[in-house]
This record gives sequence, structure tokens and C-alpha cells, in this order.
Amino acid sequence: MQSATQDWPGTTRRALSGGVLLVAGLVMLMICWSYPVGNLTQMGPGYIPRVVGFLICALAVAIIAIDVATPEAAQAGRMHPRGLIFVSTAILLFAGLIDIAGLVPSMFLAVVVSMFADDEARPLPVLIYACLATLGGWLLFLVVLELPIPAFWR
Amino acid sequence: MIDQFLLGLSVVLQPEILMYAFIGVFIGQLIGVLPGIGAITAISLLLPVTFYLDATTSMIMLAGIYYGSQYGGSIASILLNLPGTPSSVVTCLEGYPLAQRGRAGLALFVAACSSFVGGIVGVAILVLAAIPMTIIALRFGAPEYAMLVILGLLAASLIGTGSQIRSFAMVLLGIALGLVGADATTGYYRFVAMPEMADGISLVSLAMGLFGVSEIIRNASRRSPPGPALSITMRDVFPTRAEARSLVLPIVRGSGIGSFFGALPGTGAAIASFMAYAMERRFSRTPEKFGKGHLPGLAAPESANNAAAQTGFIPTLTLGIPGDAVMALIIGALILNGIIPGPRLAVDQPELFWGVIASFFVGNIILLLINIPLIKLWVLLLRVPYQKLYPVIIVMICVGVYSHRTSITDVVLTLAFGVLGYLMKNYRFEPAPVMLGFVLGPLLEDNFRRTMLLYGGDFTIFLTRPISAMLVACSAVLIVLALWSGISAMRKPVHSTP
Amino acid sequence: MFKKLLAALPLTLALALPAAAQDTFPDHSLRIVHGFGAGGNADTVSRILAEEMSKGLGQPVVVESRPGAGGTVASGYVTKQDPDGYTMQLMVGGHAVAAALYNQLPYESVDGYTFISTLGQFPFFIAARSGEYESINALIEAAKAAPGTLKIGHSGVGSTQHLTGELLDLRTGAKFIHVPYKGGAAASTALMGGEVDVIIDTGTVIRGQAEAGVYDILAATSENRWPDSPDVPTVSETVSPGFDVVSWTAIGMPAGVPDDIAGRIRGEVHKALELPEVQEKIGDLGAKAGGSSGEELKALIEGQIAVWTDVIDSAGIDKR
Repeated sequence: MQSATQDWPGTTRRALSGGVLLVAGLVMLMICWSYPVGNLTQMGPGYIPRVVGFLICALAVAIIAIDVATPEAAQAGRMHPRGLIFVSTAILLFAGLIDIAGLVPSMFLAVVVSMFADDEARPLPVLIYACLATLGGWLLFLVVLELPIPAFWR
Repeated sequence: MIDQFLLGLSVVLQPEILMYAFIGVFIGQLIGVLPGIGAITAISLLLPVTFYLDATTSMIMLAGIYYGSQYGGSIASILLNLPGTPSSVVTCLEGYPLAQRGRAGLALFVAACSSFVGGIVGVAILVLAAIPMTIIALRFGAPEYAMLVILGLLAASLIGTGSQIRSFAMVLLGIALGLVGADATTGYYRFVAMPEMADGISLVSLAMGLFGVSEIIRNASRRSPPGPALSITMRDVFPTRAEARSLVLPIVRGSGIGSFFGALPGTGAAIASFMAYAMERRFSRTPEKFGKGHLPGLAAPESANNAAAQTGFIPTLTLGIPGDAVMALIIGALILNGIIPGPRLAVDQPELFWGVIASFFVGNIILLLINIPLIKLWVLLLRVPYQKLYPVIIVMICVGVYSHRTSITDVVLTLAFGVLGYLMKNYRFEPAPVMLGFVLGPLLEDNFRRTMLLYGGDFTIFLTRPISAMLVACSAVLIVLALWSGISAMRKPVHSTP
Repeated sequence: MFKKLLAALPLTLALALPAAAQDTFPDHSLRIVHGFGAGGNADTVSRILAEEMSKGLGQPVVVESRPGAGGTVASGYVTKQDPDGYTMQLMVGGHAVAAALYNQLPYESVDGYTFISTLGQFPFFIAARSGEYESINALIEAAKAAPGTLKIGHSGVGSTQHLTGELLDLRTGAKFIHVPYKGGAAASTALMGGEVDVIIDTGTVIRGQAEAGVYDILAATSENRWPDSPDVPTVSETVSPGFDVVSWTAIGMPAGVPDDIAGRIRGEVHKALELPEVQEKIGDLGAKAGGSSGEELKALIEGQIAVWTDVIDSAGIDKR
């Protein structure tokens, strides 16, 4: 993974972080372009977003310039694809299930899936641990704190 | 005033009331540790209980939850990088690196002690200077708030370990995120992709995502957890004599900053702790140590946010005006007890007024006493292998964020911010300035536009109002200082790494 | 659990739920959804009601906060739930304002509901710093003498407070500057600090200051004098005959709830509203407790939607 990143053409790689920021600034400007701007004394809702958008773009350009000029500083960190995938899936599962299936199944699945972010996870210990964690979560959130979330589907 | 304070103490020290004060701070502390479940959830859960208690007892208990949760919030921030409130974001900056270096016990001890001192200073200001502070607070109108925020943003562009231009870009990104939702001046919807976003992005989602989730993504697949094996003797918990000495001034400064900002309705603890941190960094002789676990950088904002938590009661008690959402809940409890909060509270209900103030004093002592023995217990938490800990943290974050507004959108956004925070860190962007921009951006826009509306677009208003003019002058000094140090740094041979 | 432990602490407070007769409805817990933050007035009223209703219904009544976009997120959610009688919504005056203010709502403001009953009504009060204006007449005259200089602070664009101010402009011909704040408390601070000249807000925001002599209450917005404050004149009797703004809280359910179940719930709501302690608590929150039939509630909401649509069009407020 790391070696792959290093094989990129140097300048493109170094300009990446500022480039993404520049894209974000441009998208922001695009969305807010239709908002009424007003004038300095009677500012409309679009005034400040435009100013902020322009400033973000300007700083992004400056960052690209600095990063390209100083090669030794622009080292991107290592990626963690496994953590990214499993943690994301776990949270999305929780979000998708909580209103339909209730708290207990959502917690259980979120724990099971997220535990596989660790590459040495084995199914049986994961299941046992997830049961325990779910039980703990049920006790904490529903019994002690009495959060108004149904335990199971209605 | 001392007499009245003694009257208050005599109220609090009644066994039953003392018990409720203890329950309040204890529950507050526990709930503050849980990520995403803050004082608001805790207080609104316990609000029905106050239907059965008298006004004084209810208020003492609810207030205890509030400042107790400030203590608890630091614990989650230091141990797990999970800031529940904007003010504990600053605690993460130095506290979490300390914990990763195996000095969690020390960090917790310093946090507890600085919180205690800050709290007590806040109470002292409350007792001695509530009325003058109220008068000053009332002189803060829209122009003053706008200038105060600008000063805060300037001061804070010094926050962050990376380059200043990068951290300023992140402040702007935070401001942009703060723009999401209905515009406060016209009601116009900006960047609203779905109706749940109409009230803006939830602060809890942003903080939990940028700090908590991103850290989990980074560490989940790593076999050797970041927390090194540690022996927990009490010696590791106490700072050395030299360390302790280096903390005195930061704590004093932090308490002062916190006491002042806390009394301004609507700004409070967040600005206070960011300002205290920025100030320590600015005036430190070793600014390069910040961001890697530097004790003064932990102590100053901790004392500031707890001082602010106490003086935050000044507008609530003297005017009946709640400074933030939590205060509004506490005032709601008073109203339900048939007491109309307002300027006459101190005269009509002296036992309530002074009882509550004295309870802060007692509550802070209780918090210190229960915190120090608990430190060993909290540090034990880090002995749990990270592979067992992080799934539970994910679930707690999810439930906390969801329960906050019963919103699935908020949970999905938390993940989005988690990924964003993860990528940012990989590309050397700091998350803390994003939080600052997010908190201060809307305040700046509201107050600036309100100033223009109120004074017909007259810019000189910022210079003709004395407090505002003073703030403009402070900002100017900061800019000059920054430019000057920039120039002198350029003259020196460049070798110091950021 | 905290709640139970704490409530059990004083021995006098044994809270045994009376064993209610078990009908087929309800056979599991009910909920009251509202669109505002936990701990706000809407939340508190919901909890007061939930507690009493759970005694009558023999099932827990859970309060659920789904805040967002002036309560419309909650309305969109509730109207999509099954009309089985287990989901209630605590509605507020803002419901009628939203119907007039938003171009597109994810629900039908009137036809989407089975209306149960009002819970309480409350007027707004107009207040100024003590001694600045002798009466509401003096204020309106001053405003007319110097159009576009006097400032009204209100608790947010599109709030009922804001629209009440605009209505005052329309009816009296005065021209105020309407300055938005985040909530009534911030507007009140601005009045105290001298940033605005007048505020329009509820009794809970204003009364404490008035009793301390900081504010003068110039007028109430209800058509007739409010029973709690018989000395305060109304806008209607002074500067604008027929001026009548009263806000309310009410209970609604998704459209299509069977009549017998709606009737059962309505009965429980009315029973709770008759309890002196409930009346007292709602009174403390600034409202006068009072139930109604479903038709009365529907008529109230339809009438207010018409008024606010008119105000928003005439004042040129941007729709969302």
C-alpha cells in the first residue's frame, strides 16, 4: 500500500491534499452561488458563504504551492483500509437498523462488524464478546439511563 | 457578601441537600464520561424527578450535573480522544498525547486539580463580583461579540501543530460547516441536503467524528495498541515539583480567562478554553512542546472551562437569563417549581440563591475528592486491549449521537466526519481548528450582520463603542505580534521543525 | 433507573402506579413525539402529560424529541407513522406558522392529522425597559413619528414572536426594525443592554423582569385581557381593534386513527388537564390549561394558517 503511494508522480501526490481542499472550496462556491448576496450593509444569506468559499480556494492554492515547493514535508500518512471499511460498515449498519430493528440488534451487529477491523479477529470470540457488549449496552442505555429508544422492533 | 455565602453554606450542609448535591455531581461526572451523552441529556432525564423536590434542591442537583459533567468530559478526552463538548476538544490536544505516552494518570490528576482551582476561582468571582460582572456582560452587544469572536479566531490561528496557513484553512472549513442550516438572519436554507440538517450540523456529530471515529479507524487494525503497558503507582500520578511549579501561572491565567468569558451569555466555556490554550502557547517559551502532551497546555484550558462553568451561572442567577441550553433547562426546573427567575431572585429567595452558589463550592470539593481515587480506576481502562475497547466505543458514540436528536442523519454524518478527520490527519491537517471555526463562525456571522442591521451599516460603531474598540486594539496587537515573530523567524536560520 | 432510585428517596413519594384496568388498547408503550430540544417547554409539557397519561392508560408513555426545522422534522415523522393510536405528537403554535412559511412540507398540515385536543393557550406580551414608554399607545406613536428607527427584538426569523411583530406593523401602520436573536433569552438580554427598544415574547421570558421593575409590560396580544395579568391592556383594546394572537400547545395523531381510540386518548388528555397539579405546572410555564374537541383544534389551526399566510405575504418575508 505504502509503496504504491510512493510510486505516484511526485508533484501530483504532493498537490493532492491542497487539491482536494480546492475542490471542496469550488463545490461550496458552486452551491452558494444562487444564494442572495445583498450588499455590505444589508448582507444576504449568500454573502458570508461566498467570502469563506473564496478564502478556502485561495488558501488551498497557497497550500498546493507550498507543498509542491517543499518535497520533504509533503509525506502522506499510511492508509488503514481495513479499519476504514469495517468501522464505516458498522456505523452505517447501526444507522440503517436503529429505527427499524431497535437498539439491541443494531448494537450487536455494529460490535460484530467493527471487530473485524482487527485482522486477527476470529468468529467465535467475536460472537461471544459481541453478546457481552450488547448486554452491557442494554443495561447502560435502557435500564440505567432509560433512553427513549426501543430495545427491539415494534 | 461573606455573610450571605455562609447562609448558603448552612443551606447546603443540611444532610438531605448535601446528598442531592453529591448525587448531582456524581451522575454528572459519570454521564460526562460517556461519549455523546452530555449534560443536556442527563438533565432532561432527571427533570421529572425535580417535580418532587423543592426548588433549591432541584437546582443544586441539576447544577451539579452540569459542572460535574465538565469534569467527566475531560476524562473521556484524555483517555480516548472523545471530546463531548467544544471545551474538551482543547483537553484532547494535550491530554490524549500524554495518555499515549503512558502518563494518563498524571494527565487526569492535573486535569482534576486545575479544574478544581478553576471552579473555586469561578465561585469566588460569583460570590464577590456577580453584580459588576452582570453589568459588564450587559454591555456586550452585537458589535462587541463580533469583535470578540474575531479576536478569538486570531488568537486561535496559533492553535495546531502544523503550519499556520493549514490551520487557518481548517478554521475556514469549520466556519463553512457552521454555515449549514437555516440562516439566522433571514431563515434562508443553506447547504441543506435533507430536512434534518435544517438546524445545522450537530456539534456532537462533528466532535465525535473528527476526534473519536477517526482515531478508531487509524488504530483498529493495529496490533500493538497505542497505550503502552504501565505500572500505576501513585507516584506516576503526581507531577514532579518542577512540573507542579510550571503549572501555577497557567492555572491562574486560565481561571481568570474562564471566569471572564463564562459570564458572557452565549459564548462561555468554549471560547474560554480555546483562548486560554492559545494564550499559553503564545506566551510560552517552549511553544514547540505544545500538541505533544505539554502539561501547561492541559492545565490552562481545564481551569478555564471549569471557571467558565461556574461564572456561567452569573447571568442565569442575577438576571434570570440562561446563557446556554443547559442553563435554560435549569431555569425551566425553577419555573416548574413556581419560581420566576429574574433580578429579584437574590432578594426574594436568598436561601435558594446563596444555597446554589455555596453548593458549587461544596460540589467542587466533592468532585476533587471522588476524582483522585478514581484516577487509578480510569487508568486501568487503558489496560483493556484496544481490540476489545474500540467496538464498545463505536457503539457508545452511535447511541450517544443518535439519542441526542433521535436522528439517523446525525449518525451517518458522524461517520462522514470520522473519515474526513482520518484523511485530514493523513494529510497533516489538524481537526481542532475545524471545531473552533464551527463554534465561532455562526456567532461571528450573526453578530456582524446584526450589528449592520442595528446600526445601519455604520462600520465606525466598532471603534466608537469602548469595549469593542478595546477588542479591536487587542486584535491589532495580536496581528502585529504575529507579523513580527514571523519576520524575526525568517531572519533566523531556518532549522526548527514545526 | 436513576429516576426511580431518586424518586424513591424521600419516603413520602411512593409512586405506585395504580393498576389500571387492562383493555386491549393500549397493550404496549405509547409515545409523545415533539420537534424541539430536550428540556424545552414543549419537552416539559410532554413529560408532565406523559406521566399522568401513563397512569390512566396503564402503559408507559415515552417522550421522544425529534428536533429540526422549526418542528417540521417531527411533523413529517409523525404523520408517516401507523395511525394505531400509539404515536402522539405534541404540537405548538409554530405548526400553523410552518404551514404558512414553508413552500414545501413533507406532510399535510391539516389533513395529515387526527386532531385530539388543545392542552393550553398563552398570549405574548410586549415589553420595554421600565419608564421608557408610558403605554402601548405611546410606543406606537413614537414608532410612527420616526419610521424605521425603533427596534423590536424577537426570538428568530419565522417564530410566532417575529410574525406577531410584523402583524403589529401591518395593523397599526408603524414601521419597526425587526431584529432576530437566537431565542427569547438572547432577545431579552438585548433589551436589557439597550440594543433593542421592545421585545415580544412569552410570559416566562418577560414576567420575572417585570416583577423586578426592569421591564414595563405594555400590552398583551390576546383579544381579551389575560386572566393572569388583568392589569395589562391588550393591543386590541388600545391601538389595533381585533388584534388577537394566542399561541397554543395541543396533541395530534397521524390521520386515520379509529374514533374509539382517538376518543380514549382524548379522554385521558382531558382527565390529565383537570388535575390541579397539571394545571398549576402548565400555568407556571405561562399558559392556561384547557382541553378541546378535535374539531375545535382543527378550526383553530386552520384559522391561524390563514392569518400567518396573510402576514408573511404582506410583510414580504421569504418563504423557505
